[in-house]
Amino acid sequence: MSYADRSRKRRLLAGGTALVAVALAAVELFFPESPVSEIVRIVDANYVKSVLRLAVPITFAALGGIFADKSGVINIGLEGLLIISAFTSIAVAGTISGGSPTQLQLWVGFLAAVLSSVLFALLFAVICIEFKADQVIAGLAVWLIALGLAPFASKVIWGQVNSPPVATLSDWTLGVPFTDISLFTANPPVVMMLVAVPLAWYVLNRTAFGRWIEASGENPKALDTVGVDVRKVRYSGVLLSGFFSGIGGAGLALGRVGQFIGGGATMVNGRGWIGITAFLFGNYNPLGAFGASFLFASLDALQIRLQQLGYSIPSELIGIIPYVTVIVVLAFVGHTRSPSAAGEHYESGEE
Amino acid sequence: MSDEGGDSWQERADRALARLVDASAFERILISLAALAMSVVVGAVVILVSGWVATCESPVFSVAGIGSFCYDPIDVYVTLFKGAIWPSYNVAITLKETTLLLFTGLSVAVAFRAGLFNIGTQGQLVLGALGTAMAVLWVAPVVPAGAVGALILITVGLLAGAFVGGVWGAIPGALKAYADANEVITTIMLNFVASGIAFTLVSEVFKDPESQTVQTRAIPGFAQLRPVFFDSTVFSMLALVGALVLAAGIYWMLNGTSFGYDLRTSGVQPEAAEYGGVESKKTMVSSMALSGALGGLGGAVYVLMVASRWRTGIPSLGFDGITVSILAGNNPLGVIPAALLFGALKTGSLAIEFQLSVPKQLVGVLRGLIILFIAMPEFFRMVGARFRFGDERPTVATDGGETTDGSAGGDQGGDDR
Repeated sequence: MSYADRSRKRRLLAGGTALVAVALAAVELFFPESPVSEIVRIVDANYVKSVLRLAVPITFAALGGIFADKSGVINIGLEGLLIISAFTSIAVAGTISGGSPTQLQLWVGFLAAVLSSVLFALLFAVICIEFKADQVIAGLAVWLIALGLAPFASKVIWGQVNSPPVATLSDWTLGVPFTDISLFTANPPVVMMLVAVPLAWYVLNRTAFGRWIEASGENPKALDTVGVDVRKVRYSGVLLSGFFSGIGGAGLALGRVGQFIGGGATMVNGRGWIGITAFLFGNYNPLGAFGASFLFASLDALQIRLQQLGYSIPSELIGIIPYVTVIVVLAFVGHTRSPSAAGEHYESGEE
Repeated sequence: MSDEGGDSWQERADRALARLVDASAFERILISLAALAMSVVVGAVVILVSGWVATCESPVFSVAGIGSFCYDPIDVYVTLFKGAIWPSYNVAITLKETTLLLFTGLSVAVAFRAGLFNIGTQGQLVLGALGTAMAVLWVAPVVPAGAVGALILITVGLLAGAFVGGVWGAIPGALKAYADANEVITTIMLNFVASGIAFTLVSEVFKDPESQTVQTRAIPGFAQLRPVFFDSTVFSMLALVGALVLAAGIYWMLNGTSFGYDLRTSGVQPEAAEYGGVESKKTMVSSMALSGALGGLGGAVYVLMVASRWRTGIPSLGFDGITVSILAGNNPLGVIPAALLFGALKTGSLAIEFQLSVPKQLVGVLRGLIILFIAMPEFFRMVGARFRFGDERPTVATDGGETTDGSAGGDQGGDDR
């Protein structure tokens, strides 16, 4: 399938979504009593708010994945990085406070979580760049290590795979200065996400560093020729993937859930993998990746709301909707051309 | 290397394959052993650190100025391996795990050899298990109890598991072949979908009405794979022998049949395979279907031998299968010792938790570490091969230009090159 074909399909999908939205709005307007209307009425300010909260780990994983992949290092370990940081955030906040952390202690946990994720990413980078490991297998290893390590450490610390609950980060309120009027209140990780998405876009598209990242993944030799160290650029790309995933994991644990859940696929439950799909769908563009994350999160929020409304659709079945969507999206519109040199190791000519 | 310029792609690929597969066997065993040794060392550090973090009544040793340590790594490893074989009942548990891991390990290995990364064995196993339970429960009323009935039901169960797993495995194969969807992502997503579908089907339609938990009715006792040598309710020697025969069969299939040849060529040299007349799309779908069928068989054996029914909380045998296969260098015969090792680790992990209060999830950490270490020397070896046989493969890595397989997929690693 050609690239033009893909973008046409992407536009069709966007147009189709808009049409459905208009149709649903019409149903709501003309048939307020119908069951469809009840579902449409789910979509309100609170719904959007919860979608944004659900989108946090997916979006941050996607942003991280973009930087790593664009620099030429495929990082499929994002899921593991989310798990590590979600665990660390709760473990640190809980331990330093003795169980009931204050807001300040929660933020210390947040920072520690980002740091732990960056350190894990550094390990991954060293293995891939210095030891020329196979990136896909090494990424898989990062995921599996996190999947084993976090519940293991949970048991060591708390005696069980789940942590006791802690408080979550309080919302930030933005108001008009010197008045009581508040414009909006939002979860801090949500605010960070809304800042990070355009910032990442700006860095990638309008700065020298963004051009280096691009060149490092597309044509490292050219980058080398103009005197930029490909290794350093790739390290930055991978470390940024750790940085963003760290915010995503800590945002999930401290912003929304207030607990580490280590059973099964852990509380991260595939969001890192959905993040990968989100940036593929968004064609390595942070804005597109955010759009895709928002789409997946809104499906997730929809199934939560439908359950709250008491629809007798089995929750497990609705729960698979985001995953099915990912597959459909990937099969029909989501495929994108990866950076040419992604997955390839680069040896500087001067060595 | 002599001049090979005049040879056809097929001949070149043939020779490259033969050399890389055979010449690397010894080296590969060394790599796997080295990875195991490194994991044991790093695992010991993990044990020490966690023992330092943990609080316990009687620390095993203390270091002045640093603190007390609750776990002794050597003790943990000794218990881990002792626990796998003692008491004798544990041998049965170890062999049970080994049997199941043989199926999932082979499943991952077959896909890998075709250049496909099947992370979806878990989903194929979960749905295969459901297919087996449903088929056996459906056929059971019309067959006579006893040996004949057992033969019929076990056959039906195995076929159903393999069929359902095969169909589920063919989906990501077809998505990759015809829609270019990365199988690493689709197989992972299909794992979530499979467990969602299975849970819903059982809880809404096939639930055992007398049970509080989500599970099907139990299959008749005579349809269960029974112990022959060990006095155990969870392990059947027959199943283990069957799995070993299957491993040998897959080895023969890969190395002695034309389908196996096509499959391996597609994995090692996709372009060469195309030039050589291999229909890569069909090979992709059929090798994923075969991989899924093996995963489904694992699910069938889980139902017939272990659980007697489909129930929630099926262990992560599929993910362990990835480790088993990678440790085995994706060689079907190598899968046998690798499955035995992980079977032993699984059983031993229960012993360390029970006897030393070291969380059994430690084995999950070791699993990840093993993969991590195998990922590294593996590439050193590939680089070595590339330098030695530099004229064999285009040196795509250094010029940053077009790659031979530019996809972001898992088709670049771990297979026999």
